[in-house]
Formats: sequence, structure tokens, C-alpha cells
Amino acid sequence: MATGWRADAPASIVVFLVALPLCLGIALASGAPLFAGVISGIVGGIVVGSLSGSPLMVSGPAAGLTAIVVSAIATLGSFPAFLAAVVVAGGVQLALCGLRAGVIGYYFPSSVIRGMLASIGLILILKQVPHAVGWDKDYEGDESFVQPDGDTTFTAIDHALHAIEPGAALIALASLALLVLWDKTALKRLKLLPGPLVAVLTGVSINLAFSLVESTWTLGATHLVQLPIASDASTFLSFFTLPDFSALTRPETWKIALTLGVVASLETLLSLEATDRMDAHKRESPANRELFAQGAGNMLSGLIGGLPLTGVIVRSAANVDAGAQTKLSAILHGVLLVLAAVTIPGLLNHIPLASLAAILLYTGFKLAHPRILKAMWGQGWKQFIPFAATIVAILVTDLLVGISVGIAVAFAFILLDEVRFDCFTVTSPPGAVLKRVQLQEQVSFLNKASLAKLLASLKPGERLEIDGSRCRVIHRDVLEHMADFRLQASERGIDLRLVGIDLPPPPPAH
Amino acid sequence: MENLKRLFENNRNLVAEITRNDPEFFQRRAGKQEPHFLFIGCADSRVPIETLTGVAPGEMFVHRNIANQVRSVDLNLLSVLQYAVEVLDVKHVIVCGHYECGGVKAAMGDQNYGLVDHWLAGIRDTCSRHEQELQRIGDDNRRFRRVVDLNVLRQVYNLARTPIVQTAWKRGRRPMLHGMVYDIHDGYLKELCLQIDSNDRVSELLETTRRSIGD
Repeated sequence: MATGWRADAPASIVVFLVALPLCLGIALASGAPLFAGVISGIVGGIVVGSLSGSPLMVSGPAAGLTAIVVSAIATLGSFPAFLAAVVVAGGVQLALCGLRAGVIGYYFPSSVIRGMLASIGLILILKQVPHAVGWDKDYEGDESFVQPDGDTTFTAIDHALHAIEPGAALIALASLALLVLWDKTALKRLKLLPGPLVAVLTGVSINLAFSLVESTWTLGATHLVQLPIASDASTFLSFFTLPDFSALTRPETWKIALTLGVVASLETLLSLEATDRMDAHKRESPANRELFAQGAGNMLSGLIGGLPLTGVIVRSAANVDAGAQTKLSAILHGVLLVLAAVTIPGLLNHIPLASLAAILLYTGFKLAHPRILKAMWGQGWKQFIPFAATIVAILVTDLLVGISVGIAVAFAFILLDEVRFDCFTVTSPPGAVLKRVQLQEQVSFLNKASLAKLLASLKPGERLEIDGSRCRVIHRDVLEHMADFRLQASERGIDLRLVGIDLPPPPPAH
Repeated sequence: MENLKRLFENNRNLVAEITRNDPEFFQRRAGKQEPHFLFIGCADSRVPIETLTGVAPGEMFVHRNIANQVRSVDLNLLSVLQYAVEVLDVKHVIVCGHYECGGVKAAMGDQNYGLVDHWLAGIRDTCSRHEQELQRIGDDNRRFRRVVDLNVLRQVYNLARTPIVQTAWKRGRRPMLHGMVYDIHDGYLKELCLQIDSNDRVSELLETTRRSIGD
């Protein structure tokens, strides 16, 4: 465990530093109280982190849910009513766990997951460039192309580059330089002093130096982390909102809960797959247990006034990147969020967003490294096209829509393969009078086309033997097609012999 | 050399005669062969099976050896059988013996002929298996004819027991096995057992062969 602490404690600080502005940013984008994001982060760290079987995934408020949350709060009319839906959404996830829905995670094609990771990297780079140069209009953690402020990813960069805050740019550059220095040199071995932490401390120091000399480059509050500060205990307690369960009488609440539960589960399973992919030890996280952990987390988060949470990729990537080994890191990041919110909110509010932007830029660069693109290209176009489609779709829409497009493309390729590849092997020598084919172990609905093509190619007088004695499963539609064909075969003088295949009785005439 | 010349002469005459009536005859047959029959007969020159049965070129796949033997170690026969059954998909496999068969006669006698005596061991087995029945037949000629018949029936049985035929039967009732004998004296083919297409029919065949011992 000692080694765990040594790697996980510093990593948790990095994740905490990355998570804090994300929690606040997503809360802002969701139209919820800012502290709701922090609550969600705390629950995601401590509760989900403890219950989860994943060693590296971090959970918390998700950018992917903001659109749903905004419209849900508007539909239900109040934040407490929405919290009731979050509690039910947690219940939905527990039910999904009971239904063993976690297997869905195994059907996310690998090319799509890789595409998602790469596009997250690109998004981080594109979205953080404005923050790095002090254009902090969009909220931290936005993953959509069209931003709430009416800009798109690219126009925002354009704006930002025309209005560079020199102080922010300097801090970002200094932070980035330190990050690269830390990563590429022996300094990496200083496990207790990770690069991102150095970057943040440097950012804070530079800005303090600016303010001491009363430079115009000094960054104001809008360019710094903004954690709500409670003057006394009762104000602090007022940050927690209780759900309004009277909303449960309205059908919309249930509909929203169902949507939230399903979408949050999907995003979690995606993140889980992606995080497992990043794990250097290639550990596999139990998907159903994750659904349970997320369900419990969302119920609690909703009960104490937090945003809905999911497994989140950026924080998980930062976690992996910072050298975390066990889930201790995720849990500790939750503990740090609590401590920070209670004890040092004033101190944290000195952290420049530009420093955090530098951390995310560097993480993004690692996720979208050209090496990954090259590797995917090397895997052939059947892997590369879904990969590229996922990236493009995510970049111009948002995470969930982009993933859906990527999965559709990947499945199209998978189906195409299934449809095109023959479900049989020819066992007779070429030119044999009797053509003999052996059906493979499973003949699915998708194989119907290749078999139909084989049958259609027969000319009068030809002899074909189809041996199904090794089949375990033949889809009924395929059997019916063979039965139909056998009827016309004898009329057309085709000698069709079926071995080890029980044909269904002909369907009743209409 | 005179005789050899005659072969070429005859061949030319035959081709001329056939193509006069049907110019495409040989070209048509140059394509794929799809014979219905595999004929396993004796090498004896007096059994010109194509002529006797009137089959056209392309209709019959032929294997001939001394005394129409089916031995499970005979790579030549097994290759022919496998190709005919699995590739050409023949419907019928015919084992055909003939009376006055020199091979059968040699197997029944005490004379040594050399290598061929090894080949004929199977017929001597058949003789000893049916010794009682054969001893009861007083007439040497009738006994000789009976051994020819029994030899054919035995070879049909051997054929049925080959893995090639067994595997084919598992897929369906094909090929059908038939035992026949050709009577050199009158030119007629006589059926001994027909349409053996399953192991049940093989058992019946064995039963009737054994019962005939009594007659």
C-alpha cells in the first residue's frame, strides 16, 4: 500500500486541481448552483471511487450531461425538483446493474474508443487554447462544438488570439514549459512533486508577482478559479440543496430520470472502456459493479444537492497521466475537494485558469498524439474510418452524438464483413461434379446473403451438397430460405442435398 | 506390328463413322465428365463392358483388375473409388465378375502362378468360408460358377465396408452398390444383388448369402 500512496497521493492532487475548475465550469454550464458541481465531484470521488472496481477511472459532473441538465431544470421548473430526478436516475442505474446491462460496454468498438480519446485530446487542445491566453468566456469542460456563448470552437480561438491577455499567455507558456520539462527529463522521478503541481504553483507565483509589482498583466478573478466562499457554517450548509420529491408525481420527472440514468450509464461505460485502454497494467474493470457504484453515487449526489455524475475521461486521463496506480487516487481527489471547499477556498481562488489550461493542453496532446493516428492508419481502413469518423463527428457535434456516429460507422463495417464473408467452406476439390460445402458453426441472419448467393449461382443440372452437421445454430430465416429454394430446385433440375440440416415445415399459405 | 496398325486403322474408321452422324460428338465430351456409373470388373479381355452395356464415352468410370477384387489396401482402387464417389458423384458402383474367370480358377486350384497368388488370397478365403456349401456341389463347373458369384458378393461387401462408402452413406443413400456377373457363354449380364445403399441392406445381403449355403 505504501507504493500506492506514493504514486496515488500526488496523482490525486493533480486530478483535484484539474477537477476543481471542471466541476465549477460544468455547474455553470448546467445552469445549476456552482457548488452543485463540487458536491458531484466529491461524491464521484469518495463514494463512487470507493464502490467502483475501476482502479483509475475518476467520476464527477460530466460535460456530456450539461445539455440534458439545462433543459431538465427548465422543464421541471426548479433545481430541487431536478435533484429528485437525479435520485431516481441513480435508481435507474442500479436497475441497469441488476439487469447486467454492463455488457453493453463490451460492444463499443475499439476503433471508436480510440477515436473518442483522440478527439477528447483535440477538444482539450482547441478548447483550452482560449483559456490559456485568457479568453475565459466559455465554461471549463465544454466539449461541444457550438458553445453556449454562440461561438464555435474555432471562432472562440480566433477571438482569443485577437484578445490575448499577456499575463495569462505567459503563465500558460511557463506552465507548459515546466510540464514538458518534468515529463521529458529525470525530474519525472520526483513522484511527490508532479509536473502539473509545479505548473500550478508556478502559475500562482507568477500572478502573485504581477500583483505585487502592480503590473497590468495581473489576472483578475475572472481568469482565476472561482470557488464560492462561505463566511460561516450556516452559509456553507446553504450550499447543499435538498431534493423536492413532490416532483415525483409528475411524469416528466421520470422521463428525465430515465434519460439521465441511461445516458450517464452509457457515458460511464464508454469512459470505463477508455480508461481501461489507457491503463498501463491493462486491468479490466467490472462494468456491472461500476453501474452499481454510479447509481449509488447519483442517488447520494441528488440527495445532497449535487449534479448528476458519470465516469469522466479528461479527469481519468489526467489521473493516469499523473501516475496513479490504484483507486486511492480517485478517492483522495474527492477528499481534497471536500477539504478545499471547507478550508481553503480563498487560496484556491488564486489559481490561474491558464495554468490549468496548460495541464489540459498537455494531457490533450498526449491523448491526440500523432503516433496514435499513425498506429490507427497502420491498422487498415476498416479500423481507421470509424476512428476518423468518431473524431470528426465528436469535434463538430458533441461527445454522445459523435460516439453514436462512430459506433454506427464501425457497426456498418462489422456488418459488412459479416455479410460479405462466406458462412461456408467449399470442401470438394475445384471442378468436382458434386460441389460440397460445409456450413460454419454459426449461421446467422447476416449470413443469409452469402448463402442465398451460393444457391442463386446454381444452374440446372448442377449438384450441391450443403453439410450442416457441424452447425450449432442456423438462423430460422436461413433455414426457410433453403426450404424455399429446395422446392424450386427440383423444378429447375438442381440436385440440392442437405446433410444434417432440419428444415422447418413450410409456412402456412397466406 | 500388323495388329498394332490395325488399332489405329480401326480408330480412324470409328471416328470417321461417328463424326459423320454427329460432328460435335468428341468436342462435347472434352468438357467435364459426369458419369453415373463406376464399374469395377475383371481385366479379362473377354469382358468389354462398354460394348456390352452400350454406354457412350463419358458415362462410365472404369476400374479393372484380376478377378474384380475390392481390397481395402489397394491404393489404386481406393483412389478410383474416392474420386468417383466424392468428386464425380456417381450414382451406381457396380462390381461385375464373369464366368470362366481365370483368376477365380487359379485361386481354386493348387497350381502356383507367382505374384498373382498373393492377389487372389481373398478368393481362397471366400472358398474356405463357404467350404461346406461348395463341397456339396458335385459338378465342378457349377462349383466354379458358384465361386465366381460368391466372389462378387464378397467384393460388394468389401466395397460397402470402405470408409469412402460409409461416409457417403452417412450423407445420403448414395452411391448404390450392385453385384453382377457376366456370362461369357451367352453374353448376358445377370444380377446378383442390387441397390445396396445402406448398412441394413448390407446385413440383408450377408444373411441371404449365408442362407444360400443350404441349397
